[in-house]
Amino acid sequence: MLSGPDADDKVGAHEIANKISIERLSKEFTSGKLAVTALQSLDLRVGEGEFICIVGPSGCGKTTLLRILAGLETPTGGEVRIVRRGKDRPLSSMIFQENSIFPWMRVRDNVAYGLDLRGIDRARRDRTVSHFLDLTGLARFADAWPHQLSGGMKQRVSVARAFANDPEILLMDEPFAALDEQTKIVLQQELLRLWSETKKTVLFITHSIDEALVLADRVLVMSGRPGRLLADIRVDFPRPRLVHELKADAEFGRLWHRIWELLDSGRRVGGIAAA
Amino acid sequence: MSEEIVIAAGTAQRPSLWQRLTASHGFMAVASPLMLLVLWEIAARAGLLDPRFFPAPSAVLRELIVLLGSGELLVNVGWTLQRVAIGFCLGAVPAIVLGLMMGLSPPLTALLRPSIAAIYPIPKIALFPLIMLIFGLGETSKWVIVAVAVFFQVFFSTLAGVLNIERIYLDVATNFGASRWQAYRTIALPAALPFIFTGCQLGLGMALIVVVVAEQFGTKTGLGFMIWRSWQVFEVQDMFVALIMVALLGYGSQLAMLALERRLIRWKPRDGARSQV
Repeated sequence: MLSGPDADDKVGAHEIANKISIERLSKEFTSGKLAVTALQSLDLRVGEGEFICIVGPSGCGKTTLLRILAGLETPTGGEVRIVRRGKDRPLSSMIFQENSIFPWMRVRDNVAYGLDLRGIDRARRDRTVSHFLDLTGLARFADAWPHQLSGGMKQRVSVARAFANDPEILLMDEPFAALDEQTKIVLQQELLRLWSETKKTVLFITHSIDEALVLADRVLVMSGRPGRLLADIRVDFPRPRLVHELKADAEFGRLWHRIWELLDSGRRVGGIAAA
Repeated sequence: MSEEIVIAAGTAQRPSLWQRLTASHGFMAVASPLMLLVLWEIAARAGLLDPRFFPAPSAVLRELIVLLGSGELLVNVGWTLQRVAIGFCLGAVPAIVLGLMMGLSPPLTALLRPSIAAIYPIPKIALFPLIMLIFGLGETSKWVIVAVAVFFQVFFSTLAGVLNIERIYLDVATNFGASRWQAYRTIALPAALPFIFTGCQLGLGMALIVVVVAEQFGTKTGLGFMIWRSWQVFEVQDMFVALIMVALLGYGSQLAMLALERRLIRWKPRDGARSQV
């Protein structure tokens, strides 16, 4: 299936080792006689430890891409290759957009979910869980039930659960979309701190151009259905980044405007009715 | 003219005794049956009710004390309780297992659901002669008929519970690499547990109905037997005593089930106004 390893280096990082190679990836959903093409011949390279944000209109197949990488869907065409470092760590963990933490487990057990599935010994499990509860500011709520938490707190549990599982790749599907602006910025900042400590490869889907620019090394702009890659934009703000200061940067505004125009043209090309 | 209205702690008027009583759910729950009994007693003593069919509550109470004293009543309660308990376990456990398995496996559901749905509408007690042919007149056939009655209630509730699980929880389990068994244990069972409890409550009610009828045959013990014997010998007071015990058993088992549910399902938000059985 591969047409030479360097065939499409136009998208991708030269200097970093490849982590994920996606070649002509397609996904078609059929129900009855109706067929919907969610992804059409998508090519993408992601380097080890890169933070990638994907923006695009609704229905552009971003979520489908993430679900394929998470092992929740199988592609109907093309392939994904992922370089795996070791068998002792899980490959990917997903942080979902909705409420995905289990209401029947206390916060502590939610965070430990991946570790418990793998049968990690008690001492290491408890150590890891408290570490990530501390890092996400959840230590006081370790024994709370999810229904006692606010939306922002629940999403922190989801983030802590994914990080505690220690996967090589983090897949985030609009994790902060439902949160209020202030909570969102706080969580973005915390995510950046967590990421800089663990250096995981991250694929992060968002509707928000702001969010993409604040977090990403590269922003991928996708067209409307069927999803294709419109642009691959490097975001070179130095790290560590301060979310609130970044937004006052002139370069930030320039990039924001460029992505907006791309999305706008993609909307017309993709045939999605403008809102 | 303007008037100043003060809203502060302690400004509310203390409710009268009557207001407090009518606001108490416990009092209201006891008041209506008590009233009925008093009316019944009066009617029986005044000769408005035929004592051959409706003995006065006081006469029934006297009989209850006699039967309690002789130990006969408790022995019969014990037998009925035992049959319900054994039959309940025999029915509920496979129902939960099968419900969980079918809920997570569409092919298995497609295979088995039509057969189960076809047997379900048969009144369970109509199967009792067949069960007695197969298992004989003894205890086994009573356990089996109770198990059959309980099975359907618990099975359909469990299945509904699993089918109602939000897709996203199963996605998380898959993404985190849960095995099939782990998915049952960590997702399907806890998520379906509230439904399973509803099924168990319905199943217990069903079990009592079925056991009382089944105790008509091949036994000289149990509350059902007491009811049928008192019909044969025209001892209506005994019959009422047995009926009261069946009612108490039903109510008590529902309360026990509710207590167990509260213990096992601690994660559900509880609103204080939740009504009692």
